[in-house]
This record gives sequence, structure tokens and C-alpha cells, in this order.
Amino acid sequence: MNGWLAGKRATIEGDSPAIAKAFKAAGATLVESEADIWVHVAPPTPVKPAHDLSHDEWRASMDAGLDRRFLGAKDFAAACRARRQGGAVLFVGAPEQALGADQAAAAGALGNLTKTLGVEWARDGVRVNSILTRETGETLGHLAAYLASDYAAYVTGAVMGITLDD
Amino acid sequence: MPVPAHHIVATPPPFDAPPYPADIFAGQTVLVTGGGSGMGLAMAKAFAQGGANVAVMGRSIERAQEGAAEIAALGVRTHAMSCDVRLPEAVAAAFDEAEEALGPIDLLANNAGANFPVLAEDISPNAWNAVTRIAIDGTFLCSTEYARRRIKAGKGGAVVNNSAQYIWTGFPGDAHSAAAKTAQATMTKKLAADWAPYGIRVNAIAAGFFPHASSNAGNREEGIEPLQNMIPAGRTGSIWEFGWLSAMTCTPIFGSMTGQVIVQDGGESLRRSLRMPDYVSPRERADGPWGWK
Repeated sequence: MNGWLAGKRATIEGDSPAIAKAFKAAGATLVESEADIWVHVAPPTPVKPAHDLSHDEWRASMDAGLDRRFLGAKDFAAACRARRQGGAVLFVGAPEQALGADQAAAAGALGNLTKTLGVEWARDGVRVNSILTRETGETLGHLAAYLASDYAAYVTGAVMGITLDD
Repeated sequence: MPVPAHHIVATPPPFDAPPYPADIFAGQTVLVTGGGSGMGLAMAKAFAQGGANVAVMGRSIERAQEGAAEIAALGVRTHAMSCDVRLPEAVAAAFDEAEEALGPIDLLANNAGANFPVLAEDISPNAWNAVTRIAIDGTFLCSTEYARRRIKAGKGGAVVNNSAQYIWTGFPGDAHSAAAKTAQATMTKKLAADWAPYGIRVNAIAAGFFPHASSNAGNREEGIEPLQNMIPAGRTGSIWEFGWLSAMTCTPIFGSMTGQVIVQDGGESLRRSLRMPDYVSPRERADGPWGWK
């Protein structure tokens, strides 16, 4: 991965040590703003049967798993357009059926949002992809670094997992 | 129409800057079916850029030899073979021949395929059988031959399959390939599950439009230049970026990845709007079932 992200600035919102480590190893600088790459990692939601989920819990999952992702990506893409530079958005989280009904809704929505924004922003040079997986280790970091890099210049609107369970 | 100048088009690094070290496949041998030309040759070159020796399998020995010569120029050992991947005995014999020439087959890339624009009503049983059985039976036969040898040797491995971007939407004017390429993707997931206990990973790339010397889709008098603007990404794919992603699924870099079908198509399969140009039946298209001859 040597040099995959050389000279790139990346913002990682949310917690993924594997992605942070891989990005640094690939030469990226982690920044809070003015980034070329925006990664959003949603935390796993508690697993509960749907009839035990309160509306507040449901809303919290949608906020983190969907709404914040859309609004963050929108701001990132606007900043890219203002700079007249391309960029890469990457959404990371659990697969659709891995947790509760809240995750099923949020991840399904996110998948089709990924496909939509990937095409809507294609001619701004802004690529949008998702990794929906239970994997938290090295391959996640490496795959995230690949998708954020110019090596994935022809990958946009793609939703993928890593393991058989994904 | 050309891509407007104010659009930003993401481009990959050049061919001589692969995403992995030159020794990532050192000491390993990959067998690439359909490796003599086109997308299979791109896969084979990508493995060679990582130091793999390459067994090139093709229907035509001449084409396999031509491809092998290009691959050998990258500094690896090669062996060209002719094989009909629809015949289990022929596949087994080809594996024997490859292993005799280059040693055990560590990795497998299934690329063998045929494709051409044709109306469904004009697909003869022979044409249907050729396209579907090369991709479906061929991928099954080569993969199982490979897996049996790896399992017997007590070694893991990796397989990558060349699928296509139209596997979820259908492809009017290309019914045989629409069926065949989807079978490759769906069998990828099940083969990955069957062989996970043996450490054999199986993934597929659902490839978009990567023009090359032998692609039907690029056969236009004007060349491929007028086609760039139809792709959301603003360009057709560079064939080496397809080769790289294919090979990379077989490296330890993506060591936990299995059962995945990764779409690499510049957003082409996702184009959609509520108002589009009038639908024209493949039968009534002025210049052929694909919209051009």
C-alpha cells in the first residue's frame, strides 16, 4: 500500500483503528477539515427485536447510520466542488441484516444512497463507495485505503463486504 | 459528445505503477484462463507485475502464445496452453501440463469467455451453449479442478472470476452473456463458502467497459473516443486498473476478503433518470442489438 494515499488529506469520522492505521501507512495525512477523502464509520447499534426498540433508539440509529452520513457527504462534496478538485467518500458500517431492524433500514438506505451519489457526483470527480462488513481488522483498513485511492478511480457507487457473513 | 472540459474525471496511476510490490506473488504460479488476450491478458499482466509465473490458457494456442510473450516481457516465467474449458478431462490435462512446466498452481483467474451482440431469437443452440458453457461450466470445472488440487495438497489459495456490470440489470441484446456472467457471480459466493474451511478465497470483479484490442464493444469506426461521455465517470476503464483489482483480491493485502463481487464500472450500471431517450427494442436498433455494430 506504499504511497497509495501519498499527499492526500483524509478525515475519518467515527472509530476504526484499522482504517486510521492503513491510511497513515499508505501516506495519508489525517485532518479535521479541507480533506480529499471523507470516511464515515458508524458504530454498531445494539441488537434488539424491533418491538423492543423505542422511537428514540430507532432515530439514533438512523441519525448515525444514515442522516449524518448524507449530510456529511453533502458538505464534503460541496467543499470539493468549491476547490474544483475531486475526492472520495467512503461509508463503513455493519451489513444490512447483521444487527436489528434499525440497521437493516439504515444500511439498505445507505447502499442505494451510495449508488445514487456515486453517479450524481461522478462528473465532480467525487467517488462514493460503501463497505458493509463485520470485519474490523487489517483487510478492512487496506480495502478502505484502496477505495480512497486513485487506484480505485473507476470504482464508484459500489457497495461491498469482506467476509462470507457480509 | 466529448466530456465537457469543466468536468473532473478521476484517473488511475499509469501501468508501470502497480498498487503492490513487485514480489508480492514471488514463487507463486497463477493459471489464467482466456489469458492470451483482452481482459484475461490484463489479469495475467497484473499478476506478473507482482512476480507470479503465469500459465496462459486459451482456446487458440497461437493467441495464448502471443499473450504469454507479452507477459514474459515483464520478467516472469510463462507457459502457453490450448484448452477447451467446457471439457473436464481437458481441464485436468491442462492443469497437469501447467504444473509440469511451472510447478503447482497457487492461484486461479477465470476469464475465459465469449460474447457478441445478438438478438435472443437469433441465438442458435450452439451459440447459446458456447457462451454459457465457457463461462458457467468453464468457471466451475477450472475452479473445482484447482480446489481439489489445493485441498489435496493441504494448501489454501485464491480464485478471481471475471464477471460483468450488467449482472443485476440484464442486458437486452446479449441474453447469453447476461445469464452466463450472473452465474459466475452467484457461484462465486457459494464456492467461497464451500472452500472457506480450506483457506481458499473466491471473489469476482463485475467489470464495466474496458476497451481492448479484441472487444466487440470498441469496434466502431470512430474508435472509443465518442464513448467516454456515456459513462458517469467520464471515461471507459483503463484495462490495467481492472487487472490490478483482480490480482489484488488474491494478495494478502485483502487476505480476509472472500465471497465478494466488486463492481468496477465507473458508475455505468447505475445510470438512471425518470425521463430517458425513447426505448428502442434491440430488434429495431438501426445499428445492431447493442446500439452499434
